[in-house]
Amino acid sequence: MDQEVKLAELKAKLKKVIKRSVYIYRVDCGGCNGCEIEIFAAISPVYDPERLGMKVVASPRHADVLLYTGPMTRAMRLPAIRAYQAAPDPKIVVAYGACGCSGGIFHDCYSVWGGADSIFPVDVYIPGCPPTPAATLYGLAMALDLLQQKIKGEQFAETEVTRVVPQYDGVCPELAKEIEQEARRLSGYLHGRRIAAQYLQFVREGDPLAVDRKIKELIKQEKDPRLAEVFLSLHKIYMEKMERVGHNAG
Amino acid sequence: MLKLLRKALKVGEATVEYPFKPVEVAPGFRGKPVYDFSRCIACGACATACPPNAITMDWDLERGVKSWNINYGRCIFCGRCDEVCPTGAIVLSAEFELAAARKEDLYCRAELKLCKCISCGAYFAPCRELEYVLASLRQAGLLEGGHEGWKQLLKVCPECRRRQAASATGALGRPGRMPGGRQ
Amino acid sequence: MPNEMKPGQDGKKSVEALRSKFGAAILAEAWQTPDQVTLTVELSSLPEIVEEAYYRQGGWLSSVVGNDERGLNGHFAVYYVLSIEKERVPDKNFWLTVKALVPSHKPEFPSVTPRVPAAVWYEREVRDMFGLEPVGLPDARRLVLPDDWPDNLYPLRKDAMDYRFRPDPVAEEENYKFIEVEGEGIVEVPLGPLHITSDEPGHFRLYVDGEYIVDADYRLFYVHRGIEKLAENRLDYDQVTFLAERICGICGYTHSVAYASAVETANGIEVPPRAQYIRTILLEVERMHSHLLNLGLAAHLVGFDAGFMHFFRVREKAMQMAEILTGGRKTYGMNLIGGVRRDILKEERDQVLRLIAEIRVELDELLDLLLNTTNFISRTQGVGRLDPGVARDFSPVGPNMRGSGYARDTRADHPYGAYDRVPWDVISRDGCDVLSRELVRAAELYESLKIIERCLAEMPPGPVLVEGFAYKPYSFALGYTEAPRGENVHWVMTGNNQQVYRWRARASTYNNWPSLRYMFRGNTVSDAPLIVASIDPCYSCTERVTVVDVRKKKARTIEYKELERYCQERKNSPLKS
Repeated sequence: MDQEVKLAELKAKLKKVIKRSVYIYRVDCGGCNGCEIEIFAAISPVYDPERLGMKVVASPRHADVLLYTGPMTRAMRLPAIRAYQAAPDPKIVVAYGACGCSGGIFHDCYSVWGGADSIFPVDVYIPGCPPTPAATLYGLAMALDLLQQKIKGEQFAETEVTRVVPQYDGVCPELAKEIEQEARRLSGYLHGRRIAAQYLQFVREGDPLAVDRKIKELIKQEKDPRLAEVFLSLHKIYMEKMERVGHNAG
Repeated sequence: MLKLLRKALKVGEATVEYPFKPVEVAPGFRGKPVYDFSRCIACGACATACPPNAITMDWDLERGVKSWNINYGRCIFCGRCDEVCPTGAIVLSAEFELAAARKEDLYCRAELKLCKCISCGAYFAPCRELEYVLASLRQAGLLEGGHEGWKQLLKVCPECRRRQAASATGALGRPGRMPGGRQ
Repeated sequence: MPNEMKPGQDGKKSVEALRSKFGAAILAEAWQTPDQVTLTVELSSLPEIVEEAYYRQGGWLSSVVGNDERGLNGHFAVYYVLSIEKERVPDKNFWLTVKALVPSHKPEFPSVTPRVPAAVWYEREVRDMFGLEPVGLPDARRLVLPDDWPDNLYPLRKDAMDYRFRPDPVAEEENYKFIEVEGEGIVEVPLGPLHITSDEPGHFRLYVDGEYIVDADYRLFYVHRGIEKLAENRLDYDQVTFLAERICGICGYTHSVAYASAVETANGIEVPPRAQYIRTILLEVERMHSHLLNLGLAAHLVGFDAGFMHFFRVREKAMQMAEILTGGRKTYGMNLIGGVRRDILKEERDQVLRLIAEIRVELDELLDLLLNTTNFISRTQGVGRLDPGVARDFSPVGPNMRGSGYARDTRADHPYGAYDRVPWDVISRDGCDVLSRELVRAAELYESLKIIERCLAEMPPGPVLVEGFAYKPYSFALGYTEAPRGENVHWVMTGNNQQVYRWRARASTYNNWPSLRYMFRGNTVSDAPLIVASIDPCYSCTERVTVVDVRKKKARTIEYKELERYCQERKNSPLKS
C-alpha cells in the first residue's frame, strides 16, 4: 500500500472516530524496561502529554492507541493478542522502540517473534533504543496526525564510479592514522576525532616549527587541562616522528 | 500540605514547550545515523561492528554491486558505525524525530559498483574501496616511480593473487576449483 | 587453567578449611585472580561443600552457572558461585566457585536447594536450559522457558539448536501450575502478566485469608529472550557490552560493566584508571535515576501523587546528566572491552557539577516533604517485613538486604571501578520493612552525588581505552557490580573464535524474588503493590490480581487498577463483594 493511501486511511480513522482526547495503553512484550521507563518519563510533568490530549490508561478496553514495546517474546504472544482483541476498533497500533519496530538487537533470538508487526498490523513505528520522551511525543502526535512525518526512505545507486578522497588530504596517512588512534585511545571516538582533526589541521597548514609554535600557544590558552593533556600527547607523537624523518634525511 | 504548595509555587512551570518549540539535546547526542553516500566506500566496517544488525551489506556478484542497507527501526543508536567508519560516511546526528507510518521509510539503501579482477574477470571488491586504498598509498608516497606494481596488484582478486603467489614460489595451487573457470 | 594466579591470604585459609573437612572430595583448585578461586569437587559432595561454604564460611549465593563443556572435557558442568564475606572486612572477602562435572550420559546432579534454599531458582534454570536434573529439588516446574516451549529441547546445549531456531508453540494457552495452598477460606489473587506501573510483565498469585496474605506464588520470565545464546553465536566481545545493557533498561549499564570486567579479568586486561573513574561516575548516575524512580513509585503507591510528580521532575536532571556524559538518556553505550568510548571534558564536568548542586537542594526539600507526610510513614512502617533469618537463607541483595540490617554492598565488599579510591559510606537500616528500604535508597542518593563529585574532581589523566590485546581461549572469571537493586554477577568463559563460549548474567532482582513470598505473608492485600515495589523489581506489578479466599474456597480476579486504587485509598475493599 502506498503512503498516501495509508496516511489518508489513518487520518480518516481518527477524524471519524476519535473526536476526543485519546487513551493510550502500553503492552510490554518482553522489553528490557528501557522503553517502559521512557514512556513513564514522557508522562512526567516535564513533558506532560496530557496537554496534548493524551492519557495513559490501565486497561486495553479503554484504549484508542496500543503501544507495543519489546521484541514479542514467546511468553508474551498470547497476552499481547488478548490486549489487541480487548481494545475496541478502530484502534491505532504503535510499535515502540527498536524491539517493537523490528525485534531490535534481539531480532533473531529463539525466544522472540520479532516486533509487533510479526503478530498484527502496525500503524506507526517509533524507532529509538529507547525513544526519548520528546521522540515519544513526536511519534504519538504523528500517529494522531498532529505533526507531519519527517523521515523518508532513501535509495542511492552509483551511476558512474566516483572517488572518495581520504579525510586528511595533504597529511601523511600514516601520521594521520597514528594521531587519530592516539586521540581515540585518550579521549574516545567522539572527542578524540574532533581533537585529532583540529591537530591535523595545524599539521596541514605549516612546517614542524610552525606547528610546534601554534600548539604551544594553544596549550597555554586552553582552559581545560584535559584537552591540553591530549593535545600535548598528540604533539609528542608528531614531534618524535618529525625527528625520525629528520634523522633519516640527514 | 502548605509545604507542598510552597514547593509547587517555587518550581513553577516544569513542562518543556516541545513539540511547539524545538527541544534542545546535549552536544554529542546519539540520534539518527546520517549516511553520506558520496563518502561511502562499501568497506563493510559498520556492518561488522553493528550490534543489532541494523546495518547489513550484501553482495550481488551477478550484477556486480555491493549493497548497503540501514534499518532505523532496528538501530540502537550506539554509534559504533560512526566510530569505525574510516571515511566519515556515517555520522550520528541530533535528529530524533524518526517516527514513520510506513516501514519502508525507515530504510536507507545504497548500491555501490564492484570492480572486476583483471586476471579472472570476476567481480571482487567495491571500486570506491580500491580507489580509496590507491589514493591513500599515493599520499603515503608509495605510488611514485617504481611502485606502479601496487596499482596492478590491487586490481587482482585475492584468489588470483594467492594462485599467482603460489605458482611464483613453485608451490602447487589447490587443484580443481578455478573461480569462474577462467584463467 | 590459562589464567592461573596466586591466591590471596584469606581465601587460601578458607580453602584449607574446606580441604581439611572434605579432603579427597576436592579434586582441583584454580585461582583466576587473588580473590577468585574455583574448586572442582566430586559431584556427590557438591551439596555438602556448598552448604559448608554458605553457612559456615560466611558465604552468600551469588550465581549458579550451567555449562555445556562436552566439547572441552566430555562433561556438562555446574558452577556454584559464592561471595565469602566471613569477617565483613572488604580485603578479606573473596569469591569461591564450587564446580562439579556432570556426566553427559547421565545428566543429573544432587540438588543443593534442600540444604541451601537460595539455590532454588538457579537449579530450576539449569534444568530448563541444559536439561540437567537436580535430583531432590522439590519444585519440578519450569522457570525460564515459556509454557509453549517443547519438552526436551534445551536451548543452551551447544548441539541442541541454532540460536535462531523458533519451534512451533506446543500449547495455545498458558499452563503453568501455580502452587496450591490448602486451608480454609484461602482466596487466590492472580496478578498479571500485563502491568500498570512501570515495568515488565509477571504473573502473581496471592493466597489470602480475608484481607491477609497467607502465601504467594509467581510466574515470571515473560521477557525471556535468549540473550545468552545470542551472545554465544552472533556477537563478538565488544558487541556483547551493548547487548548486556539491554538486559535491563533501568540498570543496564551495571550489566555492561559487569560483563566487560568479567572478560577483562579472564584475559588479564588492565583497564586504565581514568576509564574506571568514568565507569564509576556513570554507574552512580544510573543509581540516582533508578532510586529517584523507585522513591517516586513508592510515593505514588501510598497515594502521594504530588510527590511522585516531583520525584520524576527531579529525576529528569539525572537523565540530563546521562545525556551530557554519554549522548543518550539511557543505555549509555559507553563500554568496550578494555575501557570506555567517550571521555569527560571540562565543559561536561562543569555542567554535571551544576546539576548535582541543583539535585542536592531539591532532594533535601523533597525528602523532607515525603518523610513528613504521615501517610507515607504509616503505610510503610512494619510493612513487608524481610526477616533477617529469611534473608540469610535466600541471599537477597541491594537496598532490599540493607534495609534488613545487613550492610552488604558489592561496591564495598568486592571493590571495583573507583569505589575504593573515593570516600563514601555503605547505608543500612534495620527496620526490615518497606520504610527502611526506601530510607536506604534516599540516603544512597546523597552518597551517589558525593561519589560523582569526587570522581569528577579526581579523575586521573591518561588513556580511557586499551587496545591490541589477545583473548585467551577458554579462560573464565567473574565480573560484578552493585546495581541500584543489588549485586549483579556475570560469569564469562571465552571461546576460541572471538566470541564468548558461555556468558551467565545474573541480575540482582533474580536473588530478590524467592524471598518475596515470605515478605508478603501476614500483610494485607492492599499493601501487596507497595511490597513488590519496595524490592524495586526489574519487573514490577501486574494488571490483575487473582484473590483466592481460603474460607470461601472461591477465586476471583481483580483488575490491577482496582488493587492499586485500594492500595492508595484503603477504602472499599475489592474483596468484599
